Amino acid sequence: MDTIIIDGLSFALPLFIMAIGGIYSEKSGITNLALEGFQGFGAFIGAMSAVLIANASGAAIEDMFYVALLFAMIGGMGFSIIHAVLSIKFKANQVISGVVINILALALTTFLTTQINALVFGAASDKFRLGVSERFTIDGLANIPVIGAVFTNVYPFQVIIIVIAIFAWYVLYKTKFGLRLRASGENPQSVDAAGVSVSKIRFSAVLISGLLSGLAGMCFAYSISAQFSSGIYMGYGFLAIAALIFGNWRILPTLGACLLFGFAKSGGMFIAQSMALPSSFTDLFMILPYVVTLLLLIFFSKSNRAPRALGEIYDKGKR
Amino acid sequence: MSKDKKKTSLRYRLIWPLRNEKWQPISIPVASILVSFIAAAIIILLLGKNPFQAFYNLFQGAGILPKPTYAGYKSMLTDFLQLLNAMTPMVFASLAVAVALRAGLFNIGVSGQMLASGFLATIIVGYSGLDAFIAKPLVLLVGMVAGGLMGGLVGWLKYKFNIHEVVTTIMLNYISQYVISFFIHMYYIDPISRQSKYITEAARLTLVNVEIANMKMNIPLGFILAIAIAVFIKFLMDKTVVGFEIKAVGSNRNAAKYTGIKVGSNTVLAMVISGGLAGLAGVTYYLGYFGSIQPKVLTNIGFDSIAVALLGNAHPVGIIFSSFLISIIDQGSTYMSSQAGIRQEIASVIIGLILLFSACSAYVKYKVSRLKDKEVDRKDSES
Repeated sequence: MDTIIIDGLSFALPLFIMAIGGIYSEKSGITNLALEGFQGFGAFIGAMSAVLIANASGAAIEDMFYVALLFAMIGGMGFSIIHAVLSIKFKANQVISGVVINILALALTTFLTTQINALVFGAASDKFRLGVSERFTIDGLANIPVIGAVFTNVYPFQVIIIVIAIFAWYVLYKTKFGLRLRASGENPQSVDAAGVSVSKIRFSAVLISGLLSGLAGMCFAYSISAQFSSGIYMGYGFLAIAALIFGNWRILPTLGACLLFGFAKSGGMFIAQSMALPSSFTDLFMILPYVVTLLLLIFFSKSNRAPRALGEIYDKGKR
Repeated sequence: MSKDKKKTSLRYRLIWPLRNEKWQPISIPVASILVSFIAAAIIILLLGKNPFQAFYNLFQGAGILPKPTYAGYKSMLTDFLQLLNAMTPMVFASLAVAVALRAGLFNIGVSGQMLASGFLATIIVGYSGLDAFIAKPLVLLVGMVAGGLMGGLVGWLKYKFNIHEVVTTIMLNYISQYVISFFIHMYYIDPISRQSKYITEAARLTLVNVEIANMKMNIPLGFILAIAIAVFIKFLMDKTVVGFEIKAVGSNRNAAKYTGIKVGSNTVLAMVISGGLAGLAGVTYYLGYFGSIQPKVLTNIGFDSIAVALLGNAHPVGIIFSSFLISIIDQGSTYMSSQAGIRQEIASVIIGLILLFSACSAYVKYKVSRLKDKEVDRKDSES
């Protein structure tokens, strides 16, 4: 039971922070299928900086976690500028821009990873080894039955994510910026009429989504996969998009969706392991999160409604 | 003043193909391809290699230009047919994306639909030992029906329960990936290659190692079908009521509803067609190009095809050309990397750049039309 909660949380929280990024972007009216590319590219920049700095300073790669996290956020944000420029300034189709960015991220990062490995380390390798970040347990709280598992074997990034998530929630729903951001996804003309630049708001929203996705990508790289390789493109970005649509473009229901994914995933793994089935049966249990989501969507998506101006290129003259 | 005029007229002539609206559907993709090849050339130069040599090798590897030497039983034609072989599923997959796009739907699940139909065709026909004349059409039929049903399910869920098609297709991608991996591991695994067992020659859509004039070559039968289907889709979308209704739903759901077009059934229909095409992509990929299925892996074709469809303006004829180009880069990359000593991954970077620049086409159109307006303004003020 404990392992379900521990593993579930460590998967659900990075997914959640990526979905929040997606919510910011989509609430401002920019469709964002590029989350997958953002998280991969962010993780690449983070992993590359960690490996290079560790190589230069001789520190252990596991200790570079916070450095990597910082660079991953910068990297994800930098990469998201492409999506912002394409879909806001260049008026490109946002879905296509997103897909193209995913393709480009995969191509660029695999190419650069092999290049850097060959140039700096003289090794023919297509991955950066990172290891797993250390975990901690809060002693008193961990002894509470059931809930105690939440405080056992926690990755430090989980705390960071929760703090950022609360802050993101506050900004989106309680500040002037958040109000304007949500308004530019529903009725951009009204935002413009109030004397605020729709393009600027949307631009910053996309950058925020890149930043948060970079963070999420680095968390995956330092926990589940323990390395950076093209294996980071497991489709978690798309899963985050599914979660935010499932959560009806609102932060708290999206958290629910992410937790559902996380627990269904770790629960499926747990069942498969505890029944001592051959390894091919784990594949069958891996579909649990996706089947559960589809079934739940059948009951809950009647009232789902995307932001009204989502995916539309802002046209000042339009009434 | 005259010098200034000369300068503008030169600039004018250079961008003329971009300005002419009749030529824009062709000139803008061509321009983006040129720009991305220049960008790629710069990257290759930075690596200290000769870009022209690299591009030349790229075309050699794809069978467009002759290589200096060939292994036994091989020639340029072998390479070229292999290129067509690889291109076939790309054409089908891009057509699948394009049809859905016309209806205002995003079929991200082409990969999953390909895998499911390829798998079903493999286990129903691929291992059956049927005669070639029955097996090959049957493979196509199974692929089309399986893909169509899966696409139809997506459309039906969208229409009946308002589930966003992006979510459904992503979920179905994962589900088909894992479920099929399970069945392959349980029943159809080849313990040596760690893939599903090879299908019988009779069921394969590519004739493998056919000897013609002392050459061994793979003849992709699906390619002819792909061209025929592309023409058919063009006819369907441009000349029939079905196509008109699908496009009407895609451009404005509400307007379509008020004119009496059934939005729901057209959504489902568009997804059935799209899924069916994806199914054809699946069988030509798994039962044509490969002959077996690697468990737990979704092909990138499903995602690349979204961008390929865009590069071809979501137009069937454009798609044939764009998938031809992308396949050349894909196929030629191995030879290029062995000859020029450049990493193979650069090929996907070039593809990514082409797609990136072509995504800017709307902006180019807008900029160019602005230039035109300015010109008109200036002429007005002069006269």
